[in-house]
Amino acid sequence: MNAHIRKVYVPMSETSFYILLCLREESHGYNIIRKVEELTAGEIRISPGTMYGSLSKMEKDQLICFVREEEKRKTYCITDLGKDVLALEMQRIERLYRNMMEVR
Amino acid sequence: MKEKKVELRVFTIADWEKEERYLQKRHQEGWKFEKVSMAGLYHFVKCMPEDVVYQLDYNEEGLQHKDEYVQMFKDCGWEYIQDFGGYSYFRKPVSEMQGKEEIFCDDESRLDMMRRVFAGRYIPILIVLMLLILPNLFEQLQSSEADAPILLVLFLILLVIYGWAAVSFGVRYWKLKRKTEK
Repeated sequence: MNAHIRKVYVPMSETSFYILLCLREESHGYNIIRKVEELTAGEIRISPGTMYGSLSKMEKDQLICFVREEEKRKTYCITDLGKDVLALEMQRIERLYRNMMEVR
Repeated sequence: MKEKKVELRVFTIADWEKEERYLQKRHQEGWKFEKVSMAGLYHFVKCMPEDVVYQLDYNEEGLQHKDEYVQMFKDCGWEYIQDFGGYSYFRKPVSEMQGKEEIFCDDESRLDMMRRVFAGRYIPILIVLMLLILPNLFEQLQSSEADAPILLVLFLILLVIYGWAAVSFGVRYWKLKRKTEK
């Protein structure tokens, strides 16, 4: 993992985190939007401009890769690099959660 | 025959938010946006007044893969209208929204769009302006004739306008960036 990836993605935005989390299974953009809505009980609805921009940025940075195109919708999947970045973020958030619970 | 009208409006490159508000206001007044053409001519057609949110995106990659780009917005209920000067125009009626909706949902992606506008529009225009101004400037310095350098003055005025636009763009970018880093 190079310095650029660390700088941009650790820590990452909530949107990016959910996108990577969902892409552990193959999925297209709109599917991710619906899944995140479900996971957060409608709290987070990712907008199409944000989704399109994030997917192309992550593909360029090789965190995710293009799988196939169906009915004008591109399907993506997480890469090994993406999994490493996601694991780092999970550790960070776990630590955050532990420390929060201690003072609660 | 539907009633139509055309308005001339000039928005500088970083004024997309003003443009969005302008189109929304017209729609509330009963004028539905049809298209924008050369030199900032905005075409409208008479309609029932409605609250419709207009949004502009600047995404060169999206334009290169237009089918899937437009599909993503369509899936989310945004109607694609056209693209013009690198910008894509979308709209969605407020009545179809769940709460407030925009095509970007976090400041990080708004910053990304500003970066794309800067790289795609500002830098090329600045280069063209410099290419127009510099040769003129040298010519003026070398010639001893006292004719009014009309073209040069015109280009310099343009440069000042773009310089001003660039500064206000920079201030907005910096403010947004500070907000995301807090």
